[in-house]
Amino acid sequence: MRVKTCGGEGPRQRAVARAEGQAAGPAAAQPALDHASQPALELEDASFSYAVPAGELAGPEVVSHASARVPAGAFALLVGGTGSGKTTLLKLFKPEIRPQGALSGAVRVLGRDAAAMSPRESAESVGYVFQSPDSQIVCDSVWHELAFGLENLGVPQDQMRRRVAETCYFFGMEPWFHRRCADLSGGQRQLLALASALAMRPSVLLLDEPTSMLDPVAEKSFLSLLRRVNRELGCTVVVATHAPRAMVDFASMAFCMEGGRPRQVPLDSLREEPALIAAGGPAGAASAAVPGPAPRAFAAVPSAPVVSARDAWVRYGRYGRDGAWVLRGADLQMSAGEVRAVVGGNGSGKSTLLMAVAGMLTPQRGRVANALSGSQALLPQQPKALLSRPSVEEELMEWAPTAGYDRGRMLAVATSFGLEGALARHPYDLSGGQQQLLALAKLLLTRPRLLLLDEPTKGLDHAARSLVAAHVRRAAAGGATVLLSTHDVAFARAVADSCSLLFDGQVALTQPAGQFFRESWVWRA
Amino acid sequence: MSPAGSHRADVAFGQSHPVVAAVYFAAVIGIGTLVTQPVFVAISVAGALLFGTCLQGALSTARRLRWQLPMVALVCLANPLFSHSGATVVATLGPVTVRLEALAYGLCMGGSLVSMLQWVLDAACVLTEDRLLELSGSCLPVVSTMVSMAIQLVPQLRRRYGVVSSTRSACTCAQAPAVEGPAVAPGKGASRMGYVNASTVLMAWAMEDSVERADAMRARGWEVGGPRTRYRLQTLRARDVVLATAVGSLALACALLAWVAQSQWSFYPNMPALVPWWGYVPYMALSLGPAVVTAVRRIREGSLR
Repeated sequence: MRVKTCGGEGPRQRAVARAEGQAAGPAAAQPALDHASQPALELEDASFSYAVPAGELAGPEVVSHASARVPAGAFALLVGGTGSGKTTLLKLFKPEIRPQGALSGAVRVLGRDAAAMSPRESAESVGYVFQSPDSQIVCDSVWHELAFGLENLGVPQDQMRRRVAETCYFFGMEPWFHRRCADLSGGQRQLLALASALAMRPSVLLLDEPTSMLDPVAEKSFLSLLRRVNRELGCTVVVATHAPRAMVDFASMAFCMEGGRPRQVPLDSLREEPALIAAGGPAGAASAAVPGPAPRAFAAVPSAPVVSARDAWVRYGRYGRDGAWVLRGADLQMSAGEVRAVVGGNGSGKSTLLMAVAGMLTPQRGRVANALSGSQALLPQQPKALLSRPSVEEELMEWAPTAGYDRGRMLAVATSFGLEGALARHPYDLSGGQQQLLALAKLLLTRPRLLLLDEPTKGLDHAARSLVAAHVRRAAAGGATVLLSTHDVAFARAVADSCSLLFDGQVALTQPAGQFFRESWVWRA
Repeated sequence: MSPAGSHRADVAFGQSHPVVAAVYFAAVIGIGTLVTQPVFVAISVAGALLFGTCLQGALSTARRLRWQLPMVALVCLANPLFSHSGATVVATLGPVTVRLEALAYGLCMGGSLVSMLQWVLDAACVLTEDRLLELSGSCLPVVSTMVSMAIQLVPQLRRRYGVVSSTRSACTCAQAPAVEGPAVAPGKGASRMGYVNASTVLMAWAMEDSVERADAMRARGWEVGGPRTRYRLQTLRARDVVLATAVGSLALACALLAWVAQSQWSFYPNMPALVPWWGYVPYMALSLGPAVVTAVRRIREGSLR
């Protein structure tokens, strides 16, 4: 066992040695590695299509004649919209989790054919971090999660203790080493997922949308740690993302998925992002059906507020240390037809504020008044909470009898969300982004007068985000009042009239959206 | 029960290997269930409640007594209805003759029940899930992983049920045609249809999660074959072995003395008089030990609350 473990560390140590021999900086890393005997990851005319039931025609190729090389020690971005095949491409390098289907061409990891690797070799040399931290955490406590992979491989006790200790130290996780995973914040969980993959000391680390749940500051600190893993530990890193802007400064190369093929693109081309709602009309063909008016001017003195919170104090649990106050005297005033974005760090109480406005929880002190509570809709962070029917069509028609809309309107809305082709599918067969759109479509069909959206663009690609933006603007134009929490600055800029910053359980300030983002240090677009 | 997954080091057993605590709780719970001699029951109740106070604070222990005391009273008063043995008649209420011995027996049974419940709660505070898993050893990786996942699943389902039902009831726009002006806040109770809906959502959600989790486990070498190892959070030191042996020996002595006391005691037809006896002292040491150790430790660290 010990011999095998040491053998697994070989490539990593070589990579460290190479990294040490080079001048710092991704640009300098490239030439030295080009003549390295083997790239860390290599695709040669690789194609993949998902398995279909016997008797049916083979499905389209998700990955089609792909050829690419990622040199050892690189920090590569894999960019592309939802459904472009990024995740499938990543999973090709990890045979034990590769989806069922037909693969042709060559897929090599550290010079070896990926398909020929045993699950043990793959687990030892390639780490994989999934998108959702919730479902990839296996164990109850942080220490056990870190040790889980090592236990599976039968790493001896002293070796295991060293790796867990060093990983924990590297990421500064000692203060929460004994905590329960369920009690961690979103950022901590994502870090735990990264750390538990790295505790196995892989030579290559693949990450699928690892920062989609994080606020801008948490995202940056996660990426800096990832960069340190790449530089100091010599680990080759590939990150699949549809929001590459924040990552450009950390990466050394980038690929763009186009037609099932990764094409290398210059990093600088990823710095700019087209506007979510173009000045002359909505961006993208998908949102053409939905005109998107520009944000209104912000009324400095709101006329007769329809939603207000005065000195609201909220905490979960009545006794003990669990009962720390989440909201500590929050004030909020919204006038009819206003679109208000609430920004703040992970765990600053944005969701709690929305839930208090929705009447889902009653403040222990202070009061919340909501004149529109009879016609409100809430999009939760997990859109699955709203999806309970066996098909998209039934899902969209669920509230038709009570909310009073017909099939024609349902079809129009489904089309405007790009869901017309998916009406017969099960909601759980849709991608996470499509589920989010479906939940929003379901809510908008009921024409709510108050729309409460909790992170509506979380995990969505650019096209889907501009769809959501256009729909929110249209709902506002139709008279709806919108309160949304978001980390997405570009989205908030595109849709919000005004913006509130939540800090220390209070609404620290409220400003017109343009001014807020112009003056902000953290939320800059 | 315990606020976090971490066990606290300032209470008894907090600094030793979980095997010491396991031996201890097995002993007190074992003796407590088998012995109904009043002095032993009283000592057990006192020990369990005092240790509970150390672990969870006086307030929550007192709050728990709010339902535990009525339970004792219920058992105590109900026993004479079924048991007509005993020689000392206290009162005759119609057809029911209440006898002192039957009341005493009920009181002891009630006390024993309360002490058992309290010892189990104390054990749950001290032997948190991760420490329990550590005891299970590396022989049953699948079982211990399953247990660990099941432990997470229950609170997760509860949390998600809260999200699903409150979100659905918050969407008032779906409940009836929109009305003008202020309306009533969304109701807290979900209808029967709501429960069905929510359980469908939870089921689908959990199944979807399990597919992803299975991938995540495989990606980290689950079932690659070969022997599995276990990360030891705490090493079993000589001190722990000595301590566990000492606790075990004391418990054995207590069990013998309890057997002697039990064999000389009977509720029916007459209860013998209770006399001072040195044989109670070891059980007092066993039962009150953790509370005393915790108190001494806190006084020394200057953190007695």
